Amino acid sequence: MADLSEIVAIWSGETRRALKSGRVLVLLVLFVMFVGLALTLVGGALHQVNAKFEQEAAMAGADLSQASAQLTEQKKQFLKMFVTEDEAMLDSLAAIPIVLLVVFKLTLRFLPLFIALMGFDQLAGEVGPKSVRYLVVRVKRNSIILGKLLSQLTIFALLLSLCTLLMVFVARVLNADFATSQVALWTFKLIISSLVLSLAYLSLTALFSAITRQSGIALVLNIIALFVIWFIALVGGAFRFPGEEAALNSLAMLKSESWIAYLRYASVWHFGDDLLHPSWSRALPAALVHVGYGLGFLGLAQLALKKRDL
Amino acid sequence: MSAAIEIKNLSKHFGAKVAVNDVSFNVEEGHCYGLIGPNGAGKTTTFSMMCGFLFPTQGSIKVLGVDPSEAGALKGKVGVLPQDAILPPTWPVGELLTYYGNLSGLPNAESEARAVLERVQLPETWNVAAGALSHGMHKRVSMAQALMGAPPVIFLDEPTAGLDPKIAASVRNVIRDLKGKHTVVVSSHNLQELEELCDATAILDKGKLVSASSMAELTGQFAEFRVQIARGDVPLAEVKATSGVKEAHVDGNKVLCVTYDGQAVQPEEIITRVVGLLASKNVLFLTVWRGKRLEEKVLQLT
Repeated sequence: MADLSEIVAIWSGETRRALKSGRVLVLLVLFVMFVGLALTLVGGALHQVNAKFEQEAAMAGADLSQASAQLTEQKKQFLKMFVTEDEAMLDSLAAIPIVLLVVFKLTLRFLPLFIALMGFDQLAGEVGPKSVRYLVVRVKRNSIILGKLLSQLTIFALLLSLCTLLMVFVARVLNADFATSQVALWTFKLIISSLVLSLAYLSLTALFSAITRQSGIALVLNIIALFVIWFIALVGGAFRFPGEEAALNSLAMLKSESWIAYLRYASVWHFGDDLLHPSWSRALPAALVHVGYGLGFLGLAQLALKKRDL
Repeated sequence: MSAAIEIKNLSKHFGAKVAVNDVSFNVEEGHCYGLIGPNGAGKTTTFSMMCGFLFPTQGSIKVLGVDPSEAGALKGKVGVLPQDAILPPTWPVGELLTYYGNLSGLPNAESEARAVLERVQLPETWNVAAGALSHGMHKRVSMAQALMGAPPVIFLDEPTAGLDPKIAASVRNVIRDLKGKHTVVVSSHNLQELEELCDATAILDKGKLVSASSMAELTGQFAEFRVQIARGDVPLAEVKATSGVKEAHVDGNKVLCVTYDGQAVQPEEIITRVVGLLASKNVLFLTVWRGKRLEEKVLQLT
């Protein structure tokens, strides 16, 4: 068992140290650059679509309500392509600007890589130069992992909150109809869902950092693992085309009822989309799956560090 | 006196390589104990197992009655200066030592950190990043963290390696101060240093224990003495005939080596008799010392 006072001491020391280091600033710049780039590209594309639509509607002399309905439908198609195909979720997400949704969705895809870049050397960087030896005579090995993981989570939450606020702020500026009451609600929802999603990937990063002696190898293995997770979800998803969709898809004969479709449940990636689902029956299991994967990876990391020579 | 450290049939394998092979010895409480041996003898591996960094393949270790490989077993009980362990380079020394003090659960970690830095004569490094320290400073800061909280057992792996003579002497003074108050285990290649500091030693060679005894027994301080001859012919037959002398010979370096019965005669008596005989025969000598030099004994054993 880990000792709470040890975990707190490690968390506090590591977090204070990290916040004073230039690395956090570099990570923040990287995150902001990514969000900024996504906002620019997505915002630009949407602006062009809107402008073209309004121009065509004006030229055709169509009435405003019909044009508005058409625009809403177009947005829905856009969301279907970039965010989700779930109708209930699409209706729920209609309350927030499309630019925010798409950028947030892209950010979620980027987060696992960002987390790997942030924490790949949390343990490997101490095992290689043997500085971990100064710790293991003072605290339990489990406390080292948990303290460092909490420190990573704290720093990540801080960076994520800053970037989410930036996204929401830009979305609010670009969309005057984004109601103020919705701004607070969705900022909270987006941050919480991202933090839940991050639990699995923070633990995964801790695992690869715990089993290797060199930080570079930990990072490479972590990225390979992310690709495997993504690939399993992709393959599983591609082989899942029930009902009408199967008939429309060129690979339908391969996909319907194939056992390969079930592979997607082995990938935590598959459950990421449901974290924002309006129905608790979808959002809660997705959250629990992320927590479960997080605990699983964390357990393996603890086992690895406990059993290995340092 | 009870054993602070008990090692029984300890072995460590790295794949097919046997780094430590069936080693057993005890370290008495309050002793300064030396781990001696050539490169690759298994000193650091044994040391690392005593500190809980490595897990034994076979055998057992007890440090103050606990198994070092158990989680948190050594907390507050040991201080360790590990060989080649780099202090986290971005941490300022003062902050780092305070952090280590907090991890050890010391009630006043910052003042303890300042005190140990004073002890190794490096108070000026408080705000210096650990990565900016010179080798000698790094070693002394590492030593400082091992002293924090005055743990009953202190492990020092190569504490003076790579240090200039002045700093090495100051480190030896710190170790000398620890003697009697703490159980100290020192691993070193500097045999003169160990001979001066240690009460007992274990000599390892190729992973095996070749000797574990008190320094006096090892160097034969109660059974041998040597006389460095400057001029004159040693009356060897008369020396051998002296009461209590068991054997005597002169080696190639003009050193008279005398073995005597340590149980039957006191060293001061036999040395005075032999030296008196040499003086009466006009043999001039430079120095007399008891036992063998540790270096000589180690070279003989390994």
